[in-house]
Amino acid sequence: MATVKQDPQVSRSMGQRLEPYISFIGPMAMIIAILLFMAAVEPARYFRASNLNQILLDAALYMPMAMAMTFVITQRGIDLSIGSVAALSGVCMAFLIKQYGFSAPVAALIALALGALMGLINGLVITRLKVPDLIGTLAMDLVYRGIGLVIAKGLVLARFPDLITEIGRGQSLVYLPTPVVVGLSSMVMGYWVLTRTHFGRYTIAIGSNPEASDMTGIDVDRHRVYAYVFMGTMAALAGIMLTGKLNAIQATSAPYFNLHVIAAVVVGGTSLFGGRASIVGSLAGVLLLSMMINALVTLRIEFFWQSVASGAVIIFSVALYTWLQKKDRDGGSGLSGLISNPRLLKTYRLAAIILAVLILLLIIGWLFAGETRPSG
Amino acid sequence: MIATTQQSDSSQPIVRMRGITKRFGGVVALDDVDLDARAGEVLAIVGDNGAGKSTLIKILTGVYQPTEGTIELDGSTFSMSSHSDAIAAGVDAVYQNLAIADHLTPAENLFLGSELTRSIFGVKVLDNKRMRKEATATLKDRLGVQLKSMDVLTESLSGGQRQAVAIARAVHHDNLRVLVMDEPTAALGPQETARTLQLIKSLRDQGLAVIVISHSLDDVFEISDRIHVQRRGRCVGVVQTAHTDNEEVLSMIVGTKTIAGEH
Repeated sequence: MATVKQDPQVSRSMGQRLEPYISFIGPMAMIIAILLFMAAVEPARYFRASNLNQILLDAALYMPMAMAMTFVITQRGIDLSIGSVAALSGVCMAFLIKQYGFSAPVAALIALALGALMGLINGLVITRLKVPDLIGTLAMDLVYRGIGLVIAKGLVLARFPDLITEIGRGQSLVYLPTPVVVGLSSMVMGYWVLTRTHFGRYTIAIGSNPEASDMTGIDVDRHRVYAYVFMGTMAALAGIMLTGKLNAIQATSAPYFNLHVIAAVVVGGTSLFGGRASIVGSLAGVLLLSMMINALVTLRIEFFWQSVASGAVIIFSVALYTWLQKKDRDGGSGLSGLISNPRLLKTYRLAAIILAVLILLLIIGWLFAGETRPSG
Repeated sequence: MIATTQQSDSSQPIVRMRGITKRFGGVVALDDVDLDARAGEVLAIVGDNGAGKSTLIKILTGVYQPTEGTIELDGSTFSMSSHSDAIAAGVDAVYQNLAIADHLTPAENLFLGSELTRSIFGVKVLDNKRMRKEATATLKDRLGVQLKSMDVLTESLSGGQRQAVAIARAVHHDNLRVLVMDEPTAALGPQETARTLQLIKSLRDQGLAVIVISHSLDDVFEISDRIHVQRRGRCVGVVQTAHTDNEEVLSMIVGTKTIAGEH
């Protein structure tokens, strides 16, 4: 263990050696698994150019948000308000265009500024009022959603100028749909910001060791606010893209943005414990979720299973990363050791009791069942 | 210059803390403590838990402000309101828990908070290549440490290597004159401890004033030139390492002996 010229390879486990690439390998392995599965089951419809285009189009909407969320999560934060920020920005833009006759570019820029403002409020709530990010952004989610409903009531605002629909679903740029170009550009920008700017560097430092960052003279709170402003702006961009994609917007739009985006980022290997960022992983995560949902649609599996599948993918990938990063893993144990641990005996007993009670109740219910009463 | 009358005045102290008192509410953490540190000298601060060692160096490094007392740097009174002020004045510290971001590379850690930038079309961007090069040079030239790779995350380095990165960050500042080290060997194995002690000596020989807090008297006797003994918030004596022994220092720490005429 001499300080000089020690060979770090010797003491490193396989997990550590793979670690820099895990965030990329993980989602890639799952993407390949989906591709192989679909190639075996339903190649004709899944691999049509129009379908692949559709996958990219679906993924594009989430790319800017996943990129910004990578920064927020890397700083040990979370933003649960992005769905409402996107909807409210979209609704405000729609109102400015439809009701007040604003030109599309100006209205779109105002939407971005509003998103930034909402992000700023989130950041100040968290850093100044010291409300924990989870509660703070969850509460602001209610506020933004509520304001959106107050403004739009139940209205659906539809039919927008070409600029908006171009951003949402246009095809005029080379071979790729315009939103895909926007999404991929945001990812490239995110990578550049993460690796080449003070903000990116401090984002990792703050997530890795907030106290050390503070001692180094980094203004931790200010840089945390930056991340939320960045997030809000990208959520507003997604709101514009969504408005253009559907050519319609309402206050209740985008209900699943939060978890879909967080899932993509986490699946991509960015650590919820901070400090470990992967923009490439987030891109892979977004693509993975879109491909998976598209595969379910192609297989004609009921829409409602999508949420089950998304949840399962999140659990699986986070468990995988945790397992790979666990430093004091015993050599031989592995998965079997995880299951046959004697300390789990009481937990198994509890599980058995819950299942037994459930089965018992089902039997009682079935034995004494009367006439069925249709709820309608 | 109390308690150091044996030493000739050839080297004026860089740091001269006088009458430092620190109260936290009703608790007196430090009571009228004096401390001198000279260039090219290792000063060890020893004492039991709660003797005020950490508070003393936190005041020196600007983390705490003294309730009473003055700090002189190079003969002029200096008041520090933050750690950054101390760094600007040439005083830096390497803390026990190593203020390092595990998920950054050694070079990124070394320049954390003082990144080098270059300008592309008027936009300032981080100059990662130059930082990596300079970090490698600082580690090699000033600390004699050569990492196998500069591109790994700091978390994968050994305890001694991580400490070298933390020290390199401090010595990288050109104006650094006083380096405070809090328990530098506490988390290290025997070999890395020997390496770190060697490193401290070489920093001293490069003309830095090094202040080391340590619980290990063996380490203290190996590297220090003078020993400052704290007990219950007071300085109970400053002794020349060459003119004392383990037993005497220990009895000062536990309070069975005080050096007459210290205070």
